[in-house]
Amino acid sequence: MSKAFVHPLLLLVALVVGSPGYAADAHHHHMPGMSMDATGMVMGGNKDKLPDDCGSISGDFEINVVAGTEYAEPYASTMFGFDQHEWQVKPCSRITVNFKNEDDVRHQWMLHGLPKYLYDRGMFHMEAAGGHSQTGVFIVPSDNKTYLVHCDIAQHMEKGMKAQLIVGSGSGDLWSIPGVTADFERPAGILGSKPWYALLGSVTIFLIVFFAGLRFFR
Amino acid sequence: MLIVLVLAIAVLLPWQWYPREWRVWYDDAFGASGFQQQAETIPAIPSEDAEEACPPDIKGWRKAQTIAGIEIAASPNCLADNPHAVAAFVKGTNNVGHMTLMDARLSPDAVVKGRDLDGDGDPDEIHIRLEVFELNGGSPDLDVPVTQYSIAPGITPGLWVFAPKSAGMSTENFESLLAQPGLRLPSPAIRVEQGDKVIVTLENTHYMPHTIHFHGVDHPFQTASGEGNDGVPVISEKPVMPGKQRSYEMQPRQTGTMFYHCHVEVQAHVLMGLNGMFIIEENRPNNWVQTFNIGDGFVRRSSVAVKEKYDREYDLHYLDLDKELGEKIQQSNDPRIVTQLIHREYDISQADFEYYTLNGRSFPYTARDSLIVTAPNETVKLRVVNGGSEGVAIHTHGHKVTITHYDGVEHPEPSRIIRDVVWIASAQRVDLELSTVNDGLHSYGEGVWLIHDHQEKGVTTNGFGPGGNVSAIVYERYLQDNGWPMTFGMGWKNFLTPGFYQRQEDGSGSTALLAGVEESGPSLMRLVLLAVLGGLFFGLLVSWVLKGRSRV
Repeated sequence: MSKAFVHPLLLLVALVVGSPGYAADAHHHHMPGMSMDATGMVMGGNKDKLPDDCGSISGDFEINVVAGTEYAEPYASTMFGFDQHEWQVKPCSRITVNFKNEDDVRHQWMLHGLPKYLYDRGMFHMEAAGGHSQTGVFIVPSDNKTYLVHCDIAQHMEKGMKAQLIVGSGSGDLWSIPGVTADFERPAGILGSKPWYALLGSVTIFLIVFFAGLRFFR
Repeated sequence: MLIVLVLAIAVLLPWQWYPREWRVWYDDAFGASGFQQQAETIPAIPSEDAEEACPPDIKGWRKAQTIAGIEIAASPNCLADNPHAVAAFVKGTNNVGHMTLMDARLSPDAVVKGRDLDGDGDPDEIHIRLEVFELNGGSPDLDVPVTQYSIAPGITPGLWVFAPKSAGMSTENFESLLAQPGLRLPSPAIRVEQGDKVIVTLENTHYMPHTIHFHGVDHPFQTASGEGNDGVPVISEKPVMPGKQRSYEMQPRQTGTMFYHCHVEVQAHVLMGLNGMFIIEENRPNNWVQTFNIGDGFVRRSSVAVKEKYDREYDLHYLDLDKELGEKIQQSNDPRIVTQLIHREYDISQADFEYYTLNGRSFPYTARDSLIVTAPNETVKLRVVNGGSEGVAIHTHGHKVTITHYDGVEHPEPSRIIRDVVWIASAQRVDLELSTVNDGLHSYGEGVWLIHDHQEKGVTTNGFGPGGNVSAIVYERYLQDNGWPMTFGMGWKNFLTPGFYQRQEDGSGSTALLAGVEESGPSLMRLVLLAVLGGLFFGLLVSWVLKGRSRV
């Protein structure tokens, strides 16, 4: 086959593959960094696009995380869990997440707060069907920040599937990370409702006037 | 001085703090001034708090459309079902494209439709996957319910529902606490065809054990592989634990409107919302049925057999809810405590029921997605289930309906009865034929005719009306373009504020006409003065006693 014949063909193939319509039909991709099949999905995958504030990738970091009810056992008042709930990486790192789901129902490893110009809705989102694994890659920007990682199926975060990714020195711990931080909502105390404020205020005023009375009229 | 102080205190002491007997005696002696404080002005509900009666249909879900080759009828109500999901339910989530699944927010294996076993042009192998979702649950980080679903303005009872296996987030988006539209009360109506080989897999995504019992559906006690198949934890099988799954198998030989529900701790789980309609349609050629009807209500793609006889079809799911039961999942974030509260401490024999829903909503939200829209000279099929613990007495204004089926079994035509109040016991189903022929019997003509439970508490929300399961039979001539009914009485704006169901206004509108009957607490001024005088009184008293003592 002559070179002159191959070139136009290649060009044609490149044109067809490059058009968004073709990509959507043939590969089941409708946005960059997205894949979806019966084993789950990855959204917001990004292997090579640098955030604006990063000159280069500072390093590669690999997270191996397992999800399942079994991993909730060490923590009181949880039912679903990850085997780790905290990771720390350098700013501008490229992170590969190998997410394994050992339950028979789906779970997610979803990270929020990434720059929206790079990630759709600022989100890197993996969902693994029961008994399946997913792998995804994303790049974090340069600022020190703590990112929320969770499973967004109703009550899964509330009942233990909550973790944090600390970039650099982070921006402070998040609440209610199993094994890391306490719950934010504490039981309502004696001042939890207004009648108690009123009572306390009244008693204080009563005591002040009572002693003042004692002092002045004695 | 002391006497003056005592008198001053007596006058200042808030009136409602006196024993009732004293107040009665006082009023007997000196004449009643009214037991309740009169509000100086009536606190009006600020109009900017009112929600839009009918939110605009931005996504174009109401109009008739063809998706993935499936023709979907226009939905007359203000809020329509997601047509992408309807298409995926008709064709099977395994037979539609990626974009349809994304728009439907469904998992590719939510409804898998397989081979055509009888060669009549429709699939007969149906594999359905259900998940369990908690709506309005607790959170360790927020003091508001999460994965929110309002049955009425500002009313968010804790709920558990079955839903087709979805993909992605349970909320509308990350910024929102609201449940995505596919997750709602009631657990959706499921439709299969007579003779289909059906597998229903329960994927327990919830933190409590659950099962499914197929009430009235022809199913064997055990599956082919000898597993329990009746969904009863103490008899046939162990419950499905969190994170686990189990499959139920059936090949129903009989048709009809049936029922499915969780059979774990039924006195609580069923009433938390884990019950739905299960319909076996008559076998017909090319009969692709809509496997799920999310939120029940209008069936956008009725089966071939229903279309032969009826112009439209609606699924109506009545359910009463116990406010206190629903609150239990919001009281603690610890599954052990929630389990204790619901399985051990909850005593249904002492319970009363505050919320009465139709298709997962109470008035005025019922008008958004559960109006029965019709036109003159039509025949409409209503499939009705009572998923609640009390009976319902469904009354149709302007119409008398014919009961064609009880519990899925056809009633012989000569003995059918025509009524305007239909009693439906717990878990019971009736199929009703609503004729809109204006003959003074079946219909009295066009209009906006209410349909509601005639046990009066059924038309209230937490004992306050109008609320409850009130909806309406609306003729197209009386329906506005956006799906909201034309009404000629009072405005509905007040009903669409959370404050209304906090009893800031009464449903008749008479709060604005009569003197205020608002309850007001003791004023701050009174409390402060009382504390000052009380302190002075006891100060004087003690100093007087001490002075007396020092003299001795």
